[in-house]
Amino acid sequence: MNELLALFIKYALVNNFILTMFLGLCPFFGVSKRLGDALSMGIAVTFVMLSASVITWLIAHFLLIPFNIQYMEIVVFILVIASFVQLIEMFIRKTSVSLYRALGIYLPLITTNCAILGIAEINFREGFSLLGSVASSLGAGVGFILALAIMSGMRERLEISAVPESFEGLPIAFITASLLSLSFIVFRGIGL
Amino acid sequence: MKESWKRVIVLTSIVAISVVVLSSIYNITEPEIAKQKEIKFEEMLQSIFPLATDYSGKEGIYEIYSDNKRVGYALMANGKGYGGDIEILVGVNEDKTIKGIKILKQTETPGLGAKITERWFTDQFSGKPIGDIRLKKDDGKIDAITGATISSSAAVDTVYEGYMEKIKMMEEK
Amino acid sequence: MIKDFTNGIVKVNPIFVLALGLCPALAISTSIDNAIGMGASVIFVLLFSNLMISLLRNVIPKEVRIPCFIVIIATFVTIVSLALQAYLPALNESLGIYVPLIVVNCIILGRAEAFASKNPVSRSVLDALGIGLGFTLSLIIISIIRELLGTGGISVFGYGVTLPFSPATFFIMPAGAFLVIGLLLGLFKRVGVIR
Repeated sequence: MNELLALFIKYALVNNFILTMFLGLCPFFGVSKRLGDALSMGIAVTFVMLSASVITWLIAHFLLIPFNIQYMEIVVFILVIASFVQLIEMFIRKTSVSLYRALGIYLPLITTNCAILGIAEINFREGFSLLGSVASSLGAGVGFILALAIMSGMRERLEISAVPESFEGLPIAFITASLLSLSFIVFRGIGL
Repeated sequence: MKESWKRVIVLTSIVAISVVVLSSIYNITEPEIAKQKEIKFEEMLQSIFPLATDYSGKEGIYEIYSDNKRVGYALMANGKGYGGDIEILVGVNEDKTIKGIKILKQTETPGLGAKITERWFTDQFSGKPIGDIRLKKDDGKIDAITGATISSSAAVDTVYEGYMEKIKMMEEK
Repeated sequence: MIKDFTNGIVKVNPIFVLALGLCPALAISTSIDNAIGMGASVIFVLLFSNLMISLLRNVIPKEVRIPCFIVIIATFVTIVSLALQAYLPALNESLGIYVPLIVVNCIILGRAEAFASKNPVSRSVLDALGIGLGFTLSLIIISIIRELLGTGGISVFGYGVTLPFSPATFFIMPAGAFLVIGLLLGLFKRVGVIR
């Protein structure tokens, strides 16, 4: 149990996907202007990360390793992730229009998001167990939401502040992210 | 109907070609990759036994030679740390004391538990008999890392249990 | 035609103009060697993916084009990964998980979709080289700054200089990466190189 908690916290805070590992940046800078959007995106990403982690773990342990075709890992993982996201999108669109409007539109963006393949790769390379993969992906997702939420709050403020013209938009967002990333260093001192 | 078939055939063909290409590339590169792993392992052994010139063995128990004379053993120890598996290479002198250890794999907290890889921690194991390999708080001679007792214990336990297990295997041979 | 090549370096510079492919840029730009290694890998994948996809552009049905592109790109990324593991293990360790992540680098899929799938092979190849070079140059610029300020010296393939000032480790850290890119983006905008 302690190990799982450690994994969760490791990927939520110590190795925060956005602020420390730079995974999932595109949605981070594109979507993070409003808190509502940010949270929807975050939840969608977390859900996909979790499912992708489980599915890729199963494939890795029941297909790749037994048949000794680990080198097909990249091709198989990304195909699986892309297909899965496609299926989810279709499913949501057919079953719940409101949910689709809230989350669905972010899904295509998520397919090529480094965060999803990133967590699948981490699980595979570090050799986590199935439960370990669940813990790490949940942690990564929560960390993602956290960074996104804080960032959107800051950007809402930035929109109405006086920023030098050439720094408006992306540049100042990066500088803000820099400060945020700096503050997360504090988590390196966690001793559970 | 024809349209759907075309899509399936094209996609499947591309995947099939991919498999063929990659398995060929894999066959070409695999021996080289294995060699790299061996080189890395030898570097690890060398860091514990600087004067070693050769080694033999398998399944986690290796005999280390220096100019055809055996100078000690290297044992693979596996254990569970705070963040995941820990793998430690334990060098053992002829007199069964520890020559040194090298942490091969760990996923402890960076900046804290991960400090078990630092020299001041691993150097503590050198020259001690296995009986001393315990944390000071458990009547041993190893100082734990402040604030990372679990990782420190995990490292110590891994070394201790790995040693015991492999020495027993050696004696049974 | 030459424009297809030069566009990629400044006008459509992937990192500073399109803001694509950021993940690896920030992560590995801690040393110039890494930048060159990652740049070369991306150029390889871009080149051959664009080539293949352009060759097959009339064969691949529109509806399944994205999965097909992805498999083709993933195949070349795997080739790079295996080659690195076998012949350049040190670089492979430095680049880490960012090697397989090349497959989701928006630059590659983006170019495949926007250019290679609609243009003849010669133009697609030039586009790939241009964009790849633009990417690599941007990575190198960022790395020079981070390595210089963060470690007090710069080195390429083992030859280096150490400068006599106290480095600020900050620049090697993730926060430093964000700052350098933010400042560069602002600078380039100010100077009018990008909009």
